[in-house]
Amino acid sequence: MSSVEPFRKLVKLVARAFYDEEIPPKGANRSKSDKSDNRGIAVVILDALTRRQWVKEEDLARDLRLHPKQLRRTLRVLEEELLILREHRRETVKGAKIYNAAVAAVSEQPTEREGEEKPKVHTHSYCCLDYAQVYDIVRYRIHRSKKKIKDELEDRNTVQEYICPAASCGRRYSALDALRLINVYDGNFHCELCDAELVAESDKLAAAELGDGDGEDNARRRRREKLKELYDKLEKQLRPLMEQLARVKDLTPPDFGSLEAWEKKAIATGRLAGTDPSTSDLSKPSHGQGPTGTPMPFLGETKVEVALAGGDSKKEEEKEEAAQLKVLPPWMIRQGMNLTASQRGEITKQEVKGEDGVSPDGPDVKDVKPADEDKEEVQRKIQEEYLKAYYAALLQRQQQTEQQAAQPVTAETPVAATDDEEAGERQVGMKAKRDASDEVEGEEEDEEVEWEDATAAEPVDTTVASQDTSFTNGDVPDTAPDAGGEFDDDDVDWEEG
Amino acid sequence: MFFHIYLERNMQLHPRHFGPHLRDKLISKLIQDVEGTCSGRHGFVVAVTAVETIGQGLIRDGTGYVTFPMKYQCVVFRPFKGEILESVVTMVNKMGFFAEAGPVQIFVSNHLIPDDMVFQSGDVPSYETSDGSVRIQKDSEVRLKIVGTRVDATEIFCIGTIKDDFLGLIGNPGGGA
Ligand SMILES: [Zn+2]
Repeated sequence: MSSVEPFRKLVKLVARAFYDEEIPPKGANRSKSDKSDNRGIAVVILDALTRRQWVKEEDLARDLRLHPKQLRRTLRVLEEELLILREHRRETVKGAKIYNAAVAAVSEQPTEREGEEKPKVHTHSYCCLDYAQVYDIVRYRIHRSKKKIKDELEDRNTVQEYICPAASCGRRYSALDALRLINVYDGNFHCELCDAELVAESDKLAAAELGDGDGEDNARRRRREKLKELYDKLEKQLRPLMEQLARVKDLTPPDFGSLEAWEKKAIATGRLAGTDPSTSDLSKPSHGQGPTGTPMPFLGETKVEVALAGGDSKKEEEKEEAAQLKVLPPWMIRQGMNLTASQRGEITKQEVKGEDGVSPDGPDVKDVKPADEDKEEVQRKIQEEYLKAYYAALLQRQQQTEQQAAQPVTAETPVAATDDEEAGERQVGMKAKRDASDEVEGEEEDEEVEWEDATAAEPVDTTVASQDTSFTNGDVPDTAPDAGGEFDDDDVDWEEG
Repeated sequence: MFFHIYLERNMQLHPRHFGPHLRDKLISKLIQDVEGTCSGRHGFVVAVTAVETIGQGLIRDGTGYVTFPMKYQCVVFRPFKGEILESVVTMVNKMGFFAEAGPVQIFVSNHLIPDDMVFQSGDVPSYETSDGSVRIQKDSEVRLKIVGTRVDATEIFCIGTIKDDFLGLIGNPGGGA
C-alpha cells in the first residue's frame, strides 16, 4: 500500500550506481587532510537515511559509528547533488524537545532515548532524503548521459560548451552565449565573471582514449564502435535503476516536508496512535500525506493531525477527551503542561474512575457517588435524563400513529398516493442518472425530452392506478435517450443540408 | 525564413502633427519605429509593405498624445533550426567564426567546422585546408545550416554548422568565387 518501499529501493540503487566510488567534493576547496578513504560511505549513509525520516546529523553519525565531520562532508556533497534536504537551526531546549517527541513518535522502539537526552543550546543540523527530488535528479542524470553519448555517436551538431578554467569559478557557457563572451581586444571568449579565457569543453568521450589511428576512416569507425559499446554498457548497467524508475513513476513520493512540519505531524500522528498501541505503524499515515495536507486517494481520513499541533488546540482536544472519558496516556499529560489545574484534576479524577472499572456513564455512577460529581458531570446527567425522556415520548407517539394508520382500513387512497409519490421519486432519480450519462449528447435535447416526458406523465398519474403509473414511467425514460439521439441527428442533418 | 504577416501596433502621435498630413506622419513614424526591430516571436521586421487600417485615435489623459491602433502588413525574417542560410563572415577566432545573414548573427564553433580545416592565426585569422584551396576569413561568403537558436524577447542569435554536404565557402572576399 505504502509508496515508500519502491522509493527506498530507488535510493539504494542510485547510491550503488552513482555513489559507490569515492566522492570527490565539488569545488576546489578540498583540503589536504581530506585524504581519508571515504569509498562507499555515501552508500551507507543513503541506506541509513532510507530507514529514517528527518534525523539529527549527530544522531546519525553516532548510529553509523562515523565521525560527525566525515558524515557532514559526505552529506554536503549529497546535498549539492540534491538528493537530501538539510536544515540547520539554532537549537533551543524546546526545539530539541519537539524533535525528540517527534522521533519518539515515529521510531518503532520509542522508549530508547527519552531519558538520556540533555538538549544543549547549539546549532544542530538535520537531514532527510528528498525522494521526489531524487527521482527527478536521477532521471535527468540518465537522460544527460545518454544524450551525450548518443549525440556523439550520431555525430549530431551539438551546441559546444565552454568552461571557465579558473578553479574558483568554473562557470559554463554554451555557444549560444558566444556573442556576449567575445573580448574586444583579443577576440577570444572570456568569462563574464572573472575574465579568464574560456576553454572549449572536450566532450569527445571516445577520442581521448584512442589516439591517432591509422587512416581517418578507420579511426572514425573505431570511434563509433567504442561509443556504441559505451552506450550499451550504460544501458545494461543502469537497467535495474531504470526499471525501478518506471515502477515508481506513478507513485506519490513520500514527502516529509520541512523539519518543522514533519515534527508537528509526527507528534500529532504519534498522539493519535498513542491511544491505541496496536496501530503503531506510524510511518504509513505520515507518508501518505504531503506537507500541504493533500491526502492520497487511499488514505483519505488522516486530516485530524494538523489541528493538534498548536497549544490551544491541544487544550481543546484534551477537553474533548475529558468529555468522552477516554483514558489518557500518561505522556500526554506531561506534554500538556499548560493545562489549567482544574482541567488536570478533572482528567485525573476521571482516569481514576475509569481504572476502577466502574462504567463512567449510565445510572450506576449516579447511584454510587453523586456527591463527587462536578458541575459538568451533573449537567451531562441531566441531559441524558432529558434525552431518555424525549426518546420515550417519541416512541410513544410513533406507536400511536401506527395504531391510527392501522385502524382506518378503508382509506386506501392516501396509501396509494404515497406509493405513487415514491415511484415518482424513484423515477426521477433514475432519470437524473440517465441524464448525467447522456450529457454527451447535448443537453438541450435532453431537456426537451424531459419536458415532453413530464407532460405526458402527469395526466397519467392522476387517472391510472399506481402500478400502471410506475410502469409507464419506467417505460418512457428508456426511450428518452434514443429520442435525444434522434433529435441530435436531426439537428445535425438539418444544419448540413 | 521570410514571412509576410499582419501585425498590430499602437502608435502615439504628438498633437503638433494633427492636420492634413496626419496619416502620412503616422505611417512614416510606424516605419521608422518597427523596421529593423526584432521580436522573439516574429523575428526581424524587414520592411513594412502596407498599412491595413488606422483605428480611432484616443487622447491619452494628461499628455495630449493620441494613440492610434494600426494594423499593417510587413515582411519578417525568422531563422529556424535546420534552415540553410548564406552569410558573410564577420569575425574569425580560434573558437570558430561569426557570420551575418542579414540582421541575424550566427556563430559557427570550431567543432562544427570540417576537421580538415584548421585555424590559422596571424594578421588575417582564418580556417583553411592543408592545401590552402579553401580559406574562410573575414568577409568570406559561407553557406551554413542553423543548428540552434537562442530567442529572447528582443534578440535572436543562432549557431550554425558547415560540417555537412554542400555547406561551407561559397565566395571569397571581394566577390571572387
Ligand atoms: Zn570564470
